[in-house]
Amino acid sequence: MSSLRHFIVEPTKSSPAIDFNPETHSMSLRGESYPENCARFYEPVFDWLRDYLAASQSEPMVLDMEIIYFNSSSSKAFMDLFDLLDGAAQAGKPVSVRWRYHEENETALECGEEFQEDVQHMAFELVPVAA
Amino acid sequence: MNMLSYHETMSREGVVLYYNGPISQSVVEGVGDMMRRKMVLEDNGMQLAQKVFSVLVEQMQNVICYAQDICTPAVCMGTGQIMVGRNGEEFYVACGNPVSRNREARIRERIDIVNGMSREELKAYYKEQRRKGPDEDSCGAGLGFIEMARKASRPLQYRFDPIDDETSFFAVKVHV
Repeated sequence: MSSLRHFIVEPTKSSPAIDFNPETHSMSLRGESYPENCARFYEPVFDWLRDYLAASQSEPMVLDMEIIYFNSSSSKAFMDLFDLLDGAAQAGKPVSVRWRYHEENETALECGEEFQEDVQHMAFELVPVAA
Repeated sequence: MNMLSYHETMSREGVVLYYNGPISQSVVEGVGDMMRRKMVLEDNGMQLAQKVFSVLVEQMQNVICYAQDICTPAVCMGTGQIMVGRNGEEFYVACGNPVSRNREARIRERIDIVNGMSREELKAYYKEQRRKGPDEDSCGAGLGFIEMARKASRPLQYRFDPIDDETSFFAVKVHV
């Protein structure tokens, strides 16, 4: 685990803050997600996670997702991300995703529900956040 | 050139925003965010503001992708038009841009498919395509028109007008 760095990316107007900590096994994506090239933006996230999951197969991890808006390409990237984590959960790693949505933002809640319906092995919680 | 007459015509037709020219990611961010804020400040509700924002972003990013005329490692831009208008309580978001004629059939097919679907069918189709991944002629995840149709209150209206042998002008209007 020591070889894996603490992965931090600062947010921009159209891309989220990323904070993945391999020591505490707590990860978060917060902010907006509609970067110009979604596949390119999320590529390092997938690279990091694959390394992390290879090194940590049994420690419980939590991913907090607090996304205000995401475009359709990001939706694809998030589904791929959840599929990757769901696979790790199926293989025995306790994985929990907390989908945090703004109380007033019905769209964010519905999107969370649609991801929740599409995963099987990990915990996927919908958490309202006060305005 | 009579800017006042343009202005008056557009105001009369309920146009809230009109942009014609180069669109890059920084325009997407600036124009999108401004419209979202304006709609929230004018008490249109978060729901409607999010829908308009979402369709605007999808359309502007399509213009950057399909009507691209400059692309360097630092910036890519396409040329097109963006319009947001209001008809009573209802808003619409429209865009227009040149596209290569060999893309026309595929774009028609994509829009016709989503226009024929119910809410439930759209949801299932969205999820299916999200797992499947994009066609090779897509710039993003190939979900943009499905996303627009899910936000729309009516079928998407579109048209193609030929410009020359290689290019058509494509326009799509989404009522939210």
